[in-house]
Amino acid sequence: MSDGGSTSGGSDRNLFGAARPAVPGRRGLDELLPAVAIGDQRAYEAVYDQASGWVLGVVRKVLRDPAQAEEVMQEVLLEIWRTASRFDPAQGTGVSWVMTMAHRRAVDRVRSERSHTTREIRAATATVDYDEVIEAVEASLDRERVQRCLTSLTELQRECVGLAYYSGYTYREVAELLGVPGGTVKTRMRDGLIRLRDCLGVA
Amino acid sequence: MTTSDEFELHTLAGPFAMDAVTAEERANFVAHLDDCLQCRDDVREMREATARLGIAAAVRPRPELREQTIRAALRTSQLAPEILGEPAAVAEPAPAADDGPAPAEAKGSVLRQLAGRVRPNKTLAMITLAAAALIIGVAGGYGLVANDVSRQLHHAQTQDHAIDTVLGAPDAVIMTSQVSTGGNATVVMSHRLHSLVFSAHGLAALPGGRAYELWLMGPSGERPAGMLKPDPGGMAGPAVVSGLAPGDMIGLTIEPAKGAPQPTSALIVVIGPHR
Repeated sequence: MSDGGSTSGGSDRNLFGAARPAVPGRRGLDELLPAVAIGDQRAYEAVYDQASGWVLGVVRKVLRDPAQAEEVMQEVLLEIWRTASRFDPAQGTGVSWVMTMAHRRAVDRVRSERSHTTREIRAATATVDYDEVIEAVEASLDRERVQRCLTSLTELQRECVGLAYYSGYTYREVAELLGVPGGTVKTRMRDGLIRLRDCLGVA
Repeated sequence: MTTSDEFELHTLAGPFAMDAVTAEERANFVAHLDDCLQCRDDVREMREATARLGIAAAVRPRPELREQTIRAALRTSQLAPEILGEPAAVAEPAPAADDGPAPAEAKGSVLRQLAGRVRPNKTLAMITLAAAALIIGVAGGYGLVANDVSRQLHHAQTQDHAIDTVLGAPDAVIMTSQVSTGGNATVVMSHRLHSLVFSAHGLAALPGGRAYELWLMGPSGERPAGMLKPDPGGMAGPAVVSGLAPGDMIGLTIEPAKGAPQPTSALIVVIGPHR
C-alpha cells in the first residue's frame, strides 16, 4: 500500500517543504504541529507521513543499527505527539524542530552505546543498507542538492560537519580524530554550516 | 565587554547546532543563549541547514510501524501548552478548531478516557458500588467489603493523578522498547519526581502460576517495583513506579505468581536513561 501520500518519508514532497510554497491542499509541519498539540489525530497522521522517513533516516545514519534506529524513530514520533505544544515557530521551522529532536536523541543514544559493550555488535552491522533510501525523483533531486552544497565546503569543513552530524562525535572528539586543534574545529563547523545554509537557501 | 569565557561560549554555536558538545557544554550554552540574541539567530539558521543534512538521509520506514506508532501516541498524554501564571498540570486540551475528527475520541489517551468515565459519575458510582458490595457483604456475612471497594476506588483516582503528574513533568522522557517474549513497553520517566509510568501492550499470556514483575535496576542493585497484570488482550498499565534513583532503569521478568524478592529469570525488556 504505497501510494506515496500515505506511506512516508515525504517521498511526494521536496526536502525543503517548509521553505518553498506549500503544495496546495497539503499542510506543512508548521501548520500541522499546532493542530497536533491539541490532540488532532489526523494532523498527527500527516506529521507521521511527512516526517517519519526523515527521522528514521537521520537516526539510522547516526546509530547504524536498523533495529535500534526504528526504536528511536518511534520514540521521537511519540515525543512529537507529547510535546507538540512546545513547538514555537519564532524559534525555527517545524522541520528544524523535528530534526533537531531526532538528531539529539540519536546522538545521546550513540554516545551511551559507545561507552557500553555493544561496540562490537555495532561494528558488525556498521554497513548501512541503502536499499530503502527513498528514491522518489524529487527527493533524490534534493539529496543531490545537499550533496552538491556539501562539495562547496572545504575538505576540513566537510569532515568536521560530517563527523559531528552523521557520526555523532563531539567537536573535541572530531579534533582528536583529525589531529586538529579544538578551536579550529569549532570555527570550521560554524563556517561550514553557514556556507551550507547559504548554498541551500534556507532560513 | 566580552570576557574570554563568554567568547569561548560564543564559538560553541556551530558545534551546539550539531549536538557536537558534551552535556555540560550544552547546558552552559543554553544558559548563554538567554543573553545572546546573535547566538540564537546563528543557531536557528544553522539548524535549518543541519535539518536538510538529516533529511538527505531519509529512508522509508517499514509500513507496520505507522499504525503501531500512531496507536501508541493516542494512548499517551500530551503536554498542555505553557500559559504564564497557569500551572502546567491543567491537562485538558482545547477542542479542535476545525473539521478534525471528534476530538473526544481522537485525543483518547487511556487516561483521559478513564478520567472522563470515572470522575463525573464518581458519587453515583461510589453509591452503586457500595450498595452492591453491601448486598454481597450482607449475603456473605462480611461487613468489610464496602469499605474495600471505596478504598479501591480511591486508590484508582490517586493512581490517575500520579500518572497525570508524571506525564506532565517538565523533565519527562518517553522511551519504548520491544519485549523479547512479545509485545511492546512504553515508559515515561521523570527524575525530578523520582517516578515513572510503565505501560505495555501485546504481552504474551502466561501459564498459571507465573506473572510479570517489574524491577528498578541501578547502581544500588535490583529492587522489586511491583507486579504487572495484563488484561486478556495483553495490555498492562499504565502503572506508576516511584522510588526512581539516578541511573535507574526499569526491567521486566517472568516470576512465580506471588512475586520474587530478586529476579530469578532473564530480563525480557530493559528501558532506561542511556548515559
